[in-house]
Amino acid sequence: MTRYILRRLLIALPVVLGVLLVTFMIQAVIPTDAVTAMYEGQVTEDEAEEAIAAIRERFGLDQPWYVQFGRYVTHVMQGDFGESVRLRRPVAEEIGYRFVNTLQLTGAALLIGILIGVPMGILSAARKDTWLDVGAMTVGLLGISMPAFFFGLLLILVFAVWLQWIPVVPRGGAALLLPALTLGLIEAAPLSRIARSAMIEILRRDHIRAARSRGMSELSVIMRHALPGTLLAVMTVIGLQFGNLLGGAFIIEVIFGWRGIGELGVKAIQWRDFALTQAIILISAGAHIGANLVVDVLYAWVDPRVDYET
Amino acid sequence: MPTRRSLVVSSALVPLSLSMRPREARAALKELRYRLIEDPESLHSGQSVSLTVSTCLNFLHDRLIYLDNTGKPQPWLAESWSFSDDSRQITFKLRPGTKFHDGTDLDAAAAKFHFDSILDPKLASPLRGTISALESCDLVDPMTFRLNFSRPFAAAMILFAASAYGFNSPTAVQKAGRQYGRRPVGTGPYMLKSWSAGTELVLVRNPRYRQLRPDAVNKGAPYADQITLTVLPEEGVAFSALQTGELSAAELQTDTVDRLRRDPRFAVVTDEKAKNFMFLEFSWRSPFDDRAMRDAVSHAIDREAIVRASYSGYGTINLNPLSSGIPGYDPSIGATHGTPYDAAKAAALLDQAGWKMGPAGVRAKDGKEAKFVLRSYASPVTDRALAVMQSNLAAIGVQVSVSTADWGTFYPSLLRDDWDMALNRWTYNDPQVMVNLFRPPGHRRKLPADAELTRILSGVESTLDPAERQKYVVEAQQAILERRLLVPILTNHAITITQAGLQNYTFDYLNQILHGDVRMSDW
Repeated sequence: MTRYILRRLLIALPVVLGVLLVTFMIQAVIPTDAVTAMYEGQVTEDEAEEAIAAIRERFGLDQPWYVQFGRYVTHVMQGDFGESVRLRRPVAEEIGYRFVNTLQLTGAALLIGILIGVPMGILSAARKDTWLDVGAMTVGLLGISMPAFFFGLLLILVFAVWLQWIPVVPRGGAALLLPALTLGLIEAAPLSRIARSAMIEILRRDHIRAARSRGMSELSVIMRHALPGTLLAVMTVIGLQFGNLLGGAFIIEVIFGWRGIGELGVKAIQWRDFALTQAIILISAGAHIGANLVVDVLYAWVDPRVDYET
Repeated sequence: MPTRRSLVVSSALVPLSLSMRPREARAALKELRYRLIEDPESLHSGQSVSLTVSTCLNFLHDRLIYLDNTGKPQPWLAESWSFSDDSRQITFKLRPGTKFHDGTDLDAAAAKFHFDSILDPKLASPLRGTISALESCDLVDPMTFRLNFSRPFAAAMILFAASAYGFNSPTAVQKAGRQYGRRPVGTGPYMLKSWSAGTELVLVRNPRYRQLRPDAVNKGAPYADQITLTVLPEEGVAFSALQTGELSAAELQTDTVDRLRRDPRFAVVTDEKAKNFMFLEFSWRSPFDDRAMRDAVSHAIDREAIVRASYSGYGTINLNPLSSGIPGYDPSIGATHGTPYDAAKAAALLDQAGWKMGPAGVRAKDGKEAKFVLRSYASPVTDRALAVMQSNLAAIGVQVSVSTADWGTFYPSLLRDDWDMALNRWTYNDPQVMVNLFRPPGHRRKLPADAELTRILSGVESTLDPAERQKYVVEAQQAILERRLLVPILTNHAITITQAGLQNYTFDYLNQILHGDVRMSDW
């Protein structure tokens, strides 16, 4: 397993480098940079010519893109993600606390999504074509279809403005509650549908029929024989969703004022702040690779038939 | 040994438990809570030109001068100032006794430290771009310093009244180093207590504060014990926080304001001296190199409809090439030289210029149809303005295809030759904005050489005597309008909703609040 993990990590390196290279090449053809974007609608380039040149020199933006790329890769390998032109601070400082915030939000939302979505999907499959199944899948469809910004504002209106159970501007742990709930309920919808379809498919298999014919209770059949296979399918989706969410749940972060990677990513692009953008792209790529690797490892843990060594 | 299930549950609970902290006790405080649309980048005055940063710095810094209700500079931290005969030097004498939050003195050395940091290429201050004519700063005596300019630069006096030109404590800057942007120390009514990145800034009263402006209500320490600036980018959330009383005041978009204006729990504060300016400009490629075409388009735009569509009526219809909040704006110039909405006149002008109406409702001249490209930056406000303009121009037989992009894409694209008209918005505090945008070849390098216009605009830039400068400002507005260099459209007003009991929340000439004056009526 260790060899497999190391091999996967080695394969990930050129992927990350390739992503960075493409970003730098795009940066080279974009007709503006963080310096001119800073003066948006206030100061003309002619007026600020000297200042623009000084800032570009200070941040190395006056160099050709391949020189910037080489320097960036060298610095990243030493743990230095550069300095943001707009924030005037090391990128690592800004990314650090935001990544922790995004991890908190992602973890809490996925937990809510799993706790609600997976049992709902299993229950739907076990009671297929009953009112319970139809009801659960209707709720699931609603969750998939409802825009995140609308759902978020709806929760604020209900819990903070009408019921006044929590403040609109919560502090401390309470600040995580509504964004995690919004995202978690949205995540629960696809998880429930995946769990349902996987469970229905497994319940049709011969080994389930054999278990039932041996007189096992339906609960035992589901928990002992059908659930592990269902979890494999669900884990694939969780892995993908985890990677996506780590890349940033932008809308949720903006609505709830949750300072995560997604919100910063959009700002970094608007600011044309490439040091920030590149760091966020690195994290997103890393999150996807890491999440998929963890899911693959978990496959082997859940299903002993999966063997990566052979 | 933990089971798989317990591992999964406990690892997922970690993020929740990490974020749980006791709620702060805040009831006993005299606290005011305001909305910030975004987290400020840094509170190092001199290291940002962002409007959000400027808003925050206004709590922390007083300035050399302020502008009175007529836009005339008045002493604040400076006791007096004088200009050299060639207008290339301004000498400021500071009032004695002003202290920074850290107890150190504000003297000429501290002022020089600030200007030197703007000029230092190693520090690469973005503020340098706003005052490119500044060359150096000299100490004259312990309370007097002199600023040397490469050329006379009249806009400097208005810049010095802006919060970005508030002074930092040299001791604090040296002590905090690169972290100073997160630990600013100024001379203003409030001091930074804490900054929870991306969430809120907490400021506390400066007990030593003395307000030197004669137009202030409160000459001593501020009324509020504490100010909390909460970062709330989303409009709907800020609206909800006002309703639940969690915010004392919040600037809102005009669409949202209408829902609160009739509610007695709130008051609407309108800042009509806003310095922004929305205008339509031309690429100068054929047929827009023809004054008749520009004249026709100028008369075709229904500004009143745009103010209603884009800002729910919260704006000033502008016929001048200058924001209505800038010193020197005179509506009588727009009345005599401007191009008010008159669709019939616009159509007649096109007829006279040889643009004949075709069967599909699109005019043509010499085989070329009146189909043009109109560009702008993407925002809900400009989208609505563009829709009105598209309709206005269609009504006179001019068809425009509209395209928008974010500012970073839109603005550089105006250097190319593949557009005809562009809807733009600019914010600047001084008539210098006309120089920056329209002194040939203009900010997008499209305007033809024009010695007379260059002479007038250079006069606006370099004349320090206010009365003499005003003559140039008037002349410049007339010249720009006569040449139909642009179609002025509007200046929108900033709208703030406050709790009804909030007092003295008023804007000065440079759109800043005197925060030491603001209080709740029941304090």
